Amino acid sequence: MKKILSLFLIVLFVSAPLSAQQRNTAANANEILIRNATVLTAARGRLEGTDILIRAGKIAQIGKNLRAGANAQTIDATGKFVTPGIVDAHSHAAVDGSVNETSYSVTSMTRVHDVINPNDINLYRALAGGVTVLNVLHGSANSIGGQNATIKIKWKRPAQDFLIPDAPPGIKFALGENPKRSHSNLQPGQTRRYPATRMGVEETIRDAFIRARDYKAEWDEFREKSKRDKNLTAPRRDIELEPLVEILEGRRLVHSHGYRSDEFLMLLNLADEFGFKVKTLQHGLEAYKIAPEIARHGAAASIFVDNWGYKIEAFDAIPYNAAILYRNGVSVSINSDSNERHRRLNLEAAKTMKYGDVPEEEALKMITLNPATQLGIGNRTGSIEVGKDADIVIWTAHPFSPYARVERTMIEGETFFDREQDVQNRAALAAERQTLERDEANRPSTSPRATQPAVPRERVKADLDDADDIDGGNHK
Amino acid sequence: MKINLSRFFAVFASAVLLLSSLFYQQVSAQSSANAPRAFAITNARIVTTSGADIERGTIIVRDGLIVAVGAGNLQVPVDVRVIDANGLTVYPGIIDASASTGIPAPRPTQQAGGGGQNIAQFLQQQQQAQQQAQAQSNSTYPAGLLPEIAAADLIRTSDSSIETARNSGFTTVLVVPRERIFQGQSALINLSGETAGEAIVRAPVALHLTFVPLQVGQFPTSLMGSFAAVRQMFLDAQQLQEAQRNYEKNPRGTRRPDSNKSLEALFPYLSRQTPGQAPIVFQANTEREIGRVLNFAREFNLKAIIAGGAESGRFAEQLKAQDIPVLLSLNFPRRTSSTSPEADPESMSVLRARAEAPKTAARLAAAGVRFAFQSGGMANYTDFWANAGRAVQAGLARPAAIRAMTLGSAEIFGVADRMGSIEPGKIANLTVVRGDIFDRARTVTHVFVDGRMYEIPAAAPTTTGGGGANAAAAQAIAGKWNLTIQLGGQTVQATVTLTTQRNQLAGQFESTLGAAPISQGEISAEGFRFVVKLNVGEQVDAVFAGRITGENQMTGTVTAPQGTTSFTGTKTP
Repeated sequence: MKKILSLFLIVLFVSAPLSAQQRNTAANANEILIRNATVLTAARGRLEGTDILIRAGKIAQIGKNLRAGANAQTIDATGKFVTPGIVDAHSHAAVDGSVNETSYSVTSMTRVHDVINPNDINLYRALAGGVTVLNVLHGSANSIGGQNATIKIKWKRPAQDFLIPDAPPGIKFALGENPKRSHSNLQPGQTRRYPATRMGVEETIRDAFIRARDYKAEWDEFREKSKRDKNLTAPRRDIELEPLVEILEGRRLVHSHGYRSDEFLMLLNLADEFGFKVKTLQHGLEAYKIAPEIARHGAAASIFVDNWGYKIEAFDAIPYNAAILYRNGVSVSINSDSNERHRRLNLEAAKTMKYGDVPEEEALKMITLNPATQLGIGNRTGSIEVGKDADIVIWTAHPFSPYARVERTMIEGETFFDREQDVQNRAALAAERQTLERDEANRPSTSPRATQPAVPRERVKADLDDADDIDGGNHK
Repeated sequence: MKINLSRFFAVFASAVLLLSSLFYQQVSAQSSANAPRAFAITNARIVTTSGADIERGTIIVRDGLIVAVGAGNLQVPVDVRVIDANGLTVYPGIIDASASTGIPAPRPTQQAGGGGQNIAQFLQQQQQAQQQAQAQSNSTYPAGLLPEIAAADLIRTSDSSIETARNSGFTTVLVVPRERIFQGQSALINLSGETAGEAIVRAPVALHLTFVPLQVGQFPTSLMGSFAAVRQMFLDAQQLQEAQRNYEKNPRGTRRPDSNKSLEALFPYLSRQTPGQAPIVFQANTEREIGRVLNFAREFNLKAIIAGGAESGRFAEQLKAQDIPVLLSLNFPRRTSSTSPEADPESMSVLRARAEAPKTAARLAAAGVRFAFQSGGMANYTDFWANAGRAVQAGLARPAAIRAMTLGSAEIFGVADRMGSIEPGKIANLTVVRGDIFDRARTVTHVFVDGRMYEIPAAAPTTTGGGGANAAAAQAIAGKWNLTIQLGGQTVQATVTLTTQRNQLAGQFESTLGAAPISQGEISAEGFRFVVKLNVGEQVDAVFAGRITGENQMTGTVTAPQGTTSFTGTKTP
């Protein structure tokens, strides 16, 4: 009996990972045909009555009356709208622990990808809003914050699978009230952190890059010398300065939080001084004032559409920001910075059509191709084009309609959100909950002293940014 | 004259025995140094863990070692104290694979006369304590990033926690310092002996590492900061090691690398260069925590052990393949309670975690992962046995469960050649139990540590509860107390009426911050603890922990999400 049991266990353990693998390759190798949809490509306009053929996780063909293999899964999308997966270029979902390392104003040594929580329910809710990619950023409490993680929401997979392997690395910078800690309440016994002024923020960033330049020189010298002398001890590796060297060498993207135009100009000038490029200006509420300067530097803007007035430096915001930047040739994306707003970025994009008449496809690009390009992954996702990852959303109506709902969200051809499936699963979940609540470990105590379980109430915010919490911006 | 020699010796021996046992009774209260060092445990059921169980047998212990084990009545020497263990079961001494036993807990500092302190003063004191820790080690790193902290230096054999653990049936503990991030280097100790040196079996055993960040304002304050801080220290240690080696090869004409105690403490744990690389115990419970620390261990080629391991069953194959042991916590998640009637229902993940916790041990065992049970900071040692029992109910074989607190643990700590089983030549660590070891009703009657016998009185302050025997403490705490709580420079008056039932505390708390029944009240050898829902702008759980300091006096700390402060109390007659 024991033998049979252990044999059974062996079979179970050996076959379990295998079958998972088989399932994946099956999902990838098998063809999927989305039929007869209205496709908003975010690159080549709007295609009516169009089929999309997905093969091995990539978009293989786009056209009318496409033919798929015998085993292909067919999805009838008659009357439905299909868009690329939404890319949110500013998120703090899925971060375990505090979003901000508030101790220092330069914390480039921290890495979001060390602390990804793949089980954060906000990820699933983002999928349900058609989001496939998140730029998960460190908070904005520091002049130079931590390294970001560009992830695809491969729900129910381990954290490692979420990381996009060829996404260029990035880093968070921040300007203004947050890094000078205008809104932070000091704990008793705690001293105020440097910098406390906007000019102090500039000095902090400049100082960091001077140190990084010296550090790079030290290593360059060692590499040169060690060609002749093999016994040389390598210089100390400094994980605070390494990412800054990567910025100087153009290998790491800078995503800078900020509001005021004068500060953005300061950063762009500072970048010119050190010879690097700022990739995105995050929030950029006053970016419209310096649109030509931003275009000249080659920076992009990742903004809110009509949020304003929630702090002093947010008073000069206008909802025409996106349109003005767009007409000045700046790449614009609309981001969420919120576990609430990321569920309805489609409607945020729609607002840009109202404020300033941004063309429909350009508005859609602001939540798909533009943020993908800003994150350096525009070659693989962000639009519906042959050869790109099959990151695809099927909507019940035009995504700019408030009545539109996501039916299905696919990443690389695999479905990670299926509304029908979700509805079906609810009964099973309710049954599981009932069983679990009957379980001894979960059964309420019969003691008269017993009380309700303590469950922290969830608060989802959309009107503040990530440094406003006393603890340094931990949204959970 | 003919002398009956054998008779003479028998009389002589019994006289010696009588004298020595009298002597033993006299001195046992102060010292066990002169206690008899030879025992025969007869008629016992013996669970050897190394071989088959012996249904009725004898164990002979002499000078701290097991000298003989066998079925039936072995030849019992005349000079031993005989313990008739009829109806009792003898196990190898039970090992707690992680605890801070013997390291005094930080006590709330409290001036006489009840003069309190505000949060600022409290933080200042904490800062001073931190500076002290730094000064002691002469390191430039802050407290929390001092891998040189060694349990062996911190153990105080007089600490009451040693007796508490021993009374609960433990003979041996892997003692881990109480620091955060780098918790420090552990020591395996036997719960006996006058000095730390006598108690220590092996030190250091491992370096213990959590990624729990430090206090506000002190890098690192975030989880990702913790990873960065630890990563930089490992890189620096690697670099320093290389620099020192290069310097030793050629000191003349080379600038001497700085000595650095904290980084040098990491050398034995670094990879490649180190023969006999020492293990690092990573605290990790959830699937993602375990995934993270396994990645980190791979990054620096470290020899890893997982501690906590609540969801380690999901990594069973990987842990087996890489031979990574688990120090599995028996402190299973429990329901927390609040008084808020409109609390949200608990999430599925919380419900699932509680239901799944007991199943992990069986999963590890099925995959052949080496694991040992630890108490995991539980407040009440009764949970150790009860939860081991739950693991057995969830599919873990009984012998495997016993092994995970005896021989299995000894193997992980590299001491299986000297303890962990009942075999001749091994250290005489024995736990003698009446009843089923996994049953709540079981009692520990004797504990042998290094060959010293400790009889556990039925009504002694044994476990930190469970038996409910701490009657004096219970009586001292029951009644109505006037509390003075320090809160941000001002004092808040409150009354709490406490009733006790065995080791449980119940009662009502009243103050300007609200009135609420107390919950999760417990009395232990350490003191007492209860939770009150307070309204300080928002509803928070305030955890009161303290002790009775004199007749009708109590002192302790209140911990809420906002921080920790102190309180004092006077009992109203």
